[in-house]
Order: sequence, then C-alpha cells, then structure tokens
Amino acid sequence: MSTAALDRQIRPIYDALDTGSNKSAIVACNKLLKKHPKNELVKALKALALVRSQKVEESLVLCDEVLEEKPTSDAVLTAMMHVLRGLGRHNDMVTMFEEAYKQQPTNEELGVQTFFANVRANHWKSAQQIATRMHKQFQEDRYLYWSVISSVLQAKDASTPKTIRTILYKLAHRMITSSPTPSYLNADRFHLHLSILSELALFDEARKLLDSDVGRNICATSLSCNEVRRELWKRQGLVREEGERAEKLIREKGDRNWLEFLAVLDATFYCLVISPTTLEDAKKECATKAQETRVLFTRVVEEDGCKDRSGLLALLELEKRARDHGVSEEPTRLVDLMERYFNETGDKVCCFEDLKPYTVLGSDEYCRWIAFLESVPSTFSSTDGLRRLINAYKFLRHSLSSLEITADMESARVALYAKKYMEALPLGSDLPTTELQPADDLVLLAGNTFISLWKLTEDDNNLFKAASLLEFALTKSKQSFLIRLVLIRVYRLLGAPSLALEHYRAMHVKQVQHDTLSHLILSRASTFSLAATGELTLATECLESTQIYLSNSQETGDFVVRAFTGEKYSQIPEFILFEDRLENSLQRDTVKVEHLRMRLTHEPITSDIIDMELIELKFIFDRTHHDNRDFDILPSYQPRISPNLNELTLLLGKPEGHGWLATFLQVYIRAFQQSSDLDDTVEEKLLIGDRPKQTADCDRHLSLRERLCEQNEEHLKTLTSDELAFVHYAGALADWLEPYHDYTRPPPAAVLAEAAKQTELKTGHPLKGIDIPLNGASHGHKKDEEPPAVRDPPELVAKHFEKLKIRFGEVQSKSPVDVLHVATLAQEAYLLFIIESLRFKPASVVKVNKLSGLVSSFKCIRNGAISVLKEISAELIKRADLEGTSEHRKCFVGLEELDPDFVLGVAKKVIDARKKVFEGIGKGLGRIITTYA
Amino acid sequence: MSVLRPFKASDMFKFNNINLDIWTETYGIGFYLSYLSRWPDLCCVQEAPTGRMMGYVLGKAEGSNAEWHGHVTALTVAPEYRRLSLARRMMALLEMVSDEIYKGFFVDLFVRCTNTVAIDMYEGLGYSVYRRVREYYGSLGIGKGGRDEEDAFDMRKPLSRDPNRRSVRPNGREMIVSAHDVS
Repeated sequence: MSTAALDRQIRPIYDALDTGSNKSAIVACNKLLKKHPKNELVKALKALALVRSQKVEESLVLCDEVLEEKPTSDAVLTAMMHVLRGLGRHNDMVTMFEEAYKQQPTNEELGVQTFFANVRANHWKSAQQIATRMHKQFQEDRYLYWSVISSVLQAKDASTPKTIRTILYKLAHRMITSSPTPSYLNADRFHLHLSILSELALFDEARKLLDSDVGRNICATSLSCNEVRRELWKRQGLVREEGERAEKLIREKGDRNWLEFLAVLDATFYCLVISPTTLEDAKKECATKAQETRVLFTRVVEEDGCKDRSGLLALLELEKRARDHGVSEEPTRLVDLMERYFNETGDKVCCFEDLKPYTVLGSDEYCRWIAFLESVPSTFSSTDGLRRLINAYKFLRHSLSSLEITADMESARVALYAKKYMEALPLGSDLPTTELQPADDLVLLAGNTFISLWKLTEDDNNLFKAASLLEFALTKSKQSFLIRLVLIRVYRLLGAPSLALEHYRAMHVKQVQHDTLSHLILSRASTFSLAATGELTLATECLESTQIYLSNSQETGDFVVRAFTGEKYSQIPEFILFEDRLENSLQRDTVKVEHLRMRLTHEPITSDIIDMELIELKFIFDRTHHDNRDFDILPSYQPRISPNLNELTLLLGKPEGHGWLATFLQVYIRAFQQSSDLDDTVEEKLLIGDRPKQTADCDRHLSLRERLCEQNEEHLKTLTSDELAFVHYAGALADWLEPYHDYTRPPPAAVLAEAAKQTELKTGHPLKGIDIPLNGASHGHKKDEEPPAVRDPPELVAKHFEKLKIRFGEVQSKSPVDVLHVATLAQEAYLLFIIESLRFKPASVVKVNKLSGLVSSFKCIRNGAISVLKEISAELIKRADLEGTSEHRKCFVGLEELDPDFVLGVAKKVIDARKKVFEGIGKGLGRIITTYA
Repeated sequence: MSVLRPFKASDMFKFNNINLDIWTETYGIGFYLSYLSRWPDLCCVQEAPTGRMMGYVLGKAEGSNAEWHGHVTALTVAPEYRRLSLARRMMALLEMVSDEIYKGFFVDLFVRCTNTVAIDMYEGLGYSVYRRVREYYGSLGIGKGGRDEEDAFDMRKPLSRDPNRRSVRPNGREMIVSAHDVS
C-alpha cells in the first residue's frame, strides 16, 4: 500500500482521538496493525488511546515497543509525547527526543523539542548543554539565552548544592557577556542579565548598564526591570542616590508609587543606619534631612488634595520613623497627623488598615486619640458619615486593653454595633442587590464580638446569635463574601457543617482558589464526614478541590515552554515557583489525608487500597510543603492584644498545618507498610511513572522506618488531646505487631510473581523486567527461623477503647464538635486496628506462622472496641433525636432586634444540620461495626 | 498610597479579596499564565504597604496594521479599595507601555453599557465609545437593564502614534456591530 493510502487510513484515528472516542480509535488501530504490524505511528496512537481509556498496563507494552525502535518521525514523536506524559514518564520522553536528535543532529526542530523535554523534566543541566550546542550550530541568539537561563534555573533548583550555585551563575554570566548582541535589545533579556549581575554582586557592571540611556529607558517602562534595579541599588548601598532619584520622580513626574516614597524615607534616615562616627552629628544631619523630606511630602499633600492619600501617609511614616530613631521634635505631631488623616480619609474603608500601624501610642497620646475617636458623631445622614463611625469603632475595638475585654463590656459593645447596624440599614436601601451594603462592617464587628464573647463565656448561644445576625445581614447584602466567611466558621463551631458548606458553595470558589480556600470547609472534615453511611458530600468536595493540582501538572509546564518560545525570561522562574507551590501544596496533601480517612470508612479495606495509598503517602512524606492557605481573607476586628478571628474560630481550637500532616502521614504510612506486601524493591519494579523528587528537608541518614517513628514535640503540640491519644495508640499498636508482620510477609520474589501473574491475566503480556525464580515462589513457604514469641498487647492498645468510653462521657456536656471528634477518632482507631490485623485474617496464615496466640488477643481487643463503639453509636443517634425536640429549640435565643420568626428559622436550620450529622455519624459507626465484626 | 508592581504567577494565591467579589471572574490558571507568558509588561498589581493586593490589570497587544493596539482584558479593584484612583494609575501604566513599548495606535476596552460609573471614569481618562457590540456579555435574554445589560461599548483612546485621532469617532454609540465581529 502506498504511503498516501496509509495516511488516509490513519486520519480517522486522529479524528477519533480528538473527539475522545478512544474505543473506536483502538478498533481502527487494531485493524491497521493486522496489515502493518510494525507501523510505529499506529502503535503509538494505539498506546495513546489506551492510556486515555485508563488501560495503563496494555499501553505500557506498546509504548516500550515503540521506544525501542528509537523513532525520529515527527508524528510518532508527538504521539509518544502525549503517551509518556499521560504515564508520567518525563524521563523517558527526554531519552526519546535525545535519541532522535542524535540521529538527526541537523534537525533544528528536534533540537528544540529535546530542549523542551528537558525543561519539562526540570533537567536544567542537560537543557543548558543542548541549548549551547544549538547556539553553536544554528547561530541564533535566543538559544544562547536559553542556555543562560537554564544555568540560572539549575542554580535556583533546590537540589543543587550551594557550593555549585556561584559557579553556575558565573557560567551564565560568561555566556551572556559573550552574546553577539547586547542584552538591552529586549527588556526580558536585560532583566535576565541584571539578575545574574545581582546574584554575583557585580555592581559596577550593573551600574554601567543601568546608567546608560538604554538602561534608563528600559527601567522607566518595565516594572520588572526596575524592580531588579531597586534591589541592586539597595544591595550596593546606594540608598541616598535612590532617594534622590525617587524624589525627582515624585516632584517632577507626579509619580505616586509608594515604593518611591519609601525610597525617600530610607534615604532620609540613612545617616543613622550606617553606624555614624558621632551620633549627635548624625542626628543633627538626620533632623535637617527629615525637615526637607517633610517639605517635599507637604507639597505633595497640597498638590494632590483628596485625590491621592500618599502625601499624608508619607508624612505619618516620616514621623513614625523619626520617633523610632529618636529625632522627632514635636511630641504631638503623630496624633495631629493621625487625626488629620482620619478627617480626610475616614470616609474610606481602607482608613483603618492604613492607620493601624501607627496606633501604638504613649499614654497621653493614646488618651487624646481615643477621645478623638469617641467624638466622631454617632449619628449619620450619609454613607460617608457612617463609614467614619465604622472606622472609629474599628480603631476603638482594636485598641482595647485586657481590662476592657470582659463579658459584660463585650455584651454592651455588641448591642451597640447591632443597634447602629439597624439604624444604618436604610442608607443602603436603594442600592441594587448586587451591591454591598455600607453597613456590613457593623455586622462584621458584631460577629467578631459575639465570637469573643463565646470564648469568654463558652456559651454556644453567642455563636448562634452571631449566626442569626449574620444571616439577617446576608438577606440585605446578598453578595457579601465576608459575611459568608464568618458564617462558615461559626456553623462549623456549632456542629452544623452542612450549613457551612452551603455558604462556601455560594462563594463560587473555583480554580486556584480551591488551594487557598478549601481549608475553610475541609480542615479536619472527617469529623463531619458521613461517608460511612454512603453519603459522600464531603469526600466528593475533597476530590473536586484537588482538580486544580491536575490542571497544574498538565498545563503549567506548557506555559513555561511558551515563555521560553516568547523569550519572557522574567516569567520563567516565577512560573516554576508557582508550579512547585501548587504541586507541593500543604493543603493538597492535608485534603489527601482527610479524604483517605473518609475513604477508609466507606470502602472495604483491602490490600489493593492499602498498597495504592501506601505508595502515594510515601511520595507525599518526601515533599517539602508550601502553605498557600489564605487566612488573611477572614475579616478580623479583634483587639490588638487578642488572638485574631482565624485563631479564635479554628475547629477544636487547634491549627492544622505541617505538624498535623506529618504526624498523620507517619501513622498511616506505618500502618499501611506493615499491612502491605510491597517492600521497596517490589515497589520500584511495579512503579509506572517517574519517581517524584524527594524535596523534604529531612535527615538523609535516617531510614524511612526511623523517620516514621520519629516523635517531633513541636508537631505533637498542634494536635488536639484526643488526636494525640490516637497517635500514641497507633504507635503502640504498630510497635507491638511489627515483628509478626515482618515474619509473616511473603518474600519480594513471591509478591512479584503474583503481580506478574495478575498482569498477564489482565493484558496477555508478561510483566517486563521481572525474572521470576522457578521455585520458592509459593505462598506456603517454610521458614528457617522460629516465629517471634507472642506477647500481650501493650496497655496503650488494650485499654484504648475503654479510655475512649470515659472520654466520650466527659465531652457530652461540651460542644457537639467535641462529641463528634471523639466519636470519629474512636471509629478511626478501630479501622486502624482492622488495617493492622488484616494480614492475620486467613486461618492458613495463622496456622503456618504459629500465631494463634496473637489472634486470640485480637479477638479480645475487637470485642472490647465493638462494645464501646456500639454505645457511642447509640448515644449519637439518641442525641440526634433530642436535637429535634422543641425543648431543645428553646435553647437558641436570638437578638431582640431581629424578627423572632427569622431567628426561629435559623435555629431550625442549625438543629436540622446537627441532627443530620449526629445521626449520620452514629449510623455510620453502626455500619462499620457490622462490616468488621 | 499603593505599590505598583508587576503581576506575578504566585499572585494567584493572594487575590481572593479581589476575586471573591462577584464582578471579578476567576479563570483557570492557564488564562493568567497565557497573559504572563506573552505580555508580562501589560499586567500589573497595586498593593497596600501591608502586602495585601488592592487591584490588578491584565492586558494584551493585538490587531494588525492601523488596528495594532493595547487591550485591557481585566481591570479590577477589591471592594475595600474603591474610590482611590487605583484604576486610573493602572490604566496609565498600561497606556504608557502600549505606547512606548508596543507602539500601538490606541488602547481599547469593553464595558457593559449599563456600567455608567465605569463609562464616566473612562471618559474622564480620555476614552470614547467607538462602537456598540451587541450581546457581548452573552445572550441570556433581555434583563432588567434591557439591551444595555448584555451589550458592550468598545471604548478607545488614541496614543501618540495616532496624532490625528483616526482610531476614534464622535458617533461611536450609534455604530452597532455584533459580537462575532470583534475579537
């Protein structure tokens, strides 16, 4: 058949792949392969269709066949690129392109593709070498710059030893100065050049570039080049010059970038920073300078009027710094300026944030400032007046002393905020429903105060009052995400997770926001998960929130490549940083662990789940995590001396973070590892994609087992007392059972043989790269050594459920969240026991390994656990019924300002939500008891 | 008082106070990265001294021949930082870069016909309506604001390369085109 005819037959395969009909693509490939069994392209396309239909094992076979042929055709390479990406085999992709390029060294496009394959795999050293070679061969400047930035990226890579970094920057420097065209032809090349000079502290050279006309022009139009320039000048100690430059910009160009004002301020006090010869002279000099700066800023204020607040704020900053340096002469100036600032911008929301840094005052000034704030009229006829009042309230609350934070005083405050809120509502009554109400902040102040009251009194009714007032405010200001944020926290504290979820969903969190905001709803979410009953809302929420990580790994690399193509060198390190922060996000893996905890209550615990989760968790354990969670978004209006809103409203009063994640990973990896037959050698053979880089900052000399058993006091401090008890129990359980697991676990060869058998059954091909010994692969192998002596369970294990029973009794009088926390941790402890004892379930295993003594102590623990869990379950279901009674409803007291029917409606919703979660957790426990009786 | 600096990829972790507002859309990461990988100099952020983001602008350069211009794709300011002339300053930067670096003939943007506050502001900055684009904001039927709700004004401001102001016209509001006639 002619090539044209073959082409014609291949086209429908592409069409099928493009439209996602993988099945018909496979059928079409099979048909063609009958006639052309050796055709690489058809094989590659079939491999792609297989990967896309999740048939990984079958795809692997074809994939390896094609790779062995060392393809060079563009079509095959492109198809294989998608196959390998789908399989996570970036390293193989690099090899494939390198082989192809070696065969056709004059093919520029292949060179570019090989370079990009290395970029995607973060192989900066090879990337640099390829780019250098390409530059020599094809004489294009951009390849030289690719080579330069590859060296820079290698230097920045966490795995590059510090000692080599300077060498790499020097190499980059040598290459960039060898460029036939100067770097200033293009702002991004210039940016790259400057950052290298900055790293190597080659200030004179940088100065020469920056002082040239072209250099100046670039910095005047490119914010990013100007950013590097600023940094360079600062590091070189050119603070005064920078100040003069900034002054000129402010004076002549009307530049109002705050960075310029800061530069002027830094220059003003510079003579005091650089250890002066005599302090007195320096102070005198500084005072003169400060006076000049004051004149400059005052002129700005006069010029700008109310159009721009930079001048006034700069005067404030000047005075604050003068005080810090002991050169302020006017004791009243700071408060004068604060009052003036308030008078001029008090009608803007940001006034509070702007002035907050200046509110730490001496006692006389403090009194004056408070008196000023108290004199702000509390009647208002316009939104401007209202905003002034709100700002005054915020400042007054912010500066409260500990003596003023009592239940009585907070109650009085909350009443005032609520009253003013009601009075202010009519001001916004004409606004469209899409607008925010100007009075919203009063409700946020009230919400903050109710939460403070709840902390002071431990009375949940304060939370309920907060909820009803905030719900009311939301009917007036439908788009206020700030109100929703507080409601989410309040509902979780009230044990009404479904209501929190409703508000979270109404905020339409999407894309990258899942990473920064899903903590609102998913932190310690297994406490509320009803997955055991088959209700998967929260488990699904976990999975949905992790979609963004998939898009990151699929897309961000493409944009790095695009930035190379477009020569946007300033962006490349930023993109790589972004990719890394998402890929190794703390929230990502915290959600992973929460989801695992839910999954184990829902799916039957089998060795398949255990093996898969084990591999994933081990990868996570090797990561350095970045915390991208956004807590600043919560509107905190708490006194300066108090914890902020986030800290006050953390579920169970404990933050979840690196320590929490590390501890739970230790617990589960250790349990799974004991229960699993996969040891490292087996895992290595069965792993399909590339092994992720180990970035965790751990002691490399420690073995994994040592790292799993390590106890970090700082980490343990972040756990609740109940979680801590769980962790101790888990540790004792693992210590106790370890010798029996190690003795019973089949040898690696046997495990591999079994895996090979399964693969062959599934795909018809043997597992590659595994030699199975002819004998000794059977299960019932005889051992040379005697089984370890059976020991009684340690007390931490034997008594754990008894203690839980007592603990459950204790928390009955506490908040619903505490009750659920203890109940779900009891459930988790039982499931962990199931995982740890799974291996010893088959009677044959027990018999062969002579472990009947061990199994009888299991029975004892299991029976004890089940009886406790049964009691907890019954208690929870009883409590759910109790929630529904009208007696209980009376406990919810709303605010007198609100319509009682409205309050009743909120109460009903809270009660229903609580009822649902109590009942669900209770019933779920019941199910687990039956499943693992 | 605010810091004007380049928009960086990691700003996506920080923009919630701006993007949770209903008037600002949060796109997939590819959207932001595609702008940054091509026109990083047309994307900038205004930031408070505390490091909190106040607003940002994303722009691009497009068109051919006399239509070569800078385009404002997204301009947004967090609710708590409105009425502080932040938009004005970000626009000034975008215009300067469109003029001096890209040598465009004009800068343009689309705005909902009902958004009189924004239209007034842009007019104050020297923009004028070039044409009205029908159903630019989706054709979900005519809402409360009538046609104005879904139609957009394409507003333009000539740059130094267009001293004769050929890229604008006085009767733009009457020039009506359909959504697929514009890019």
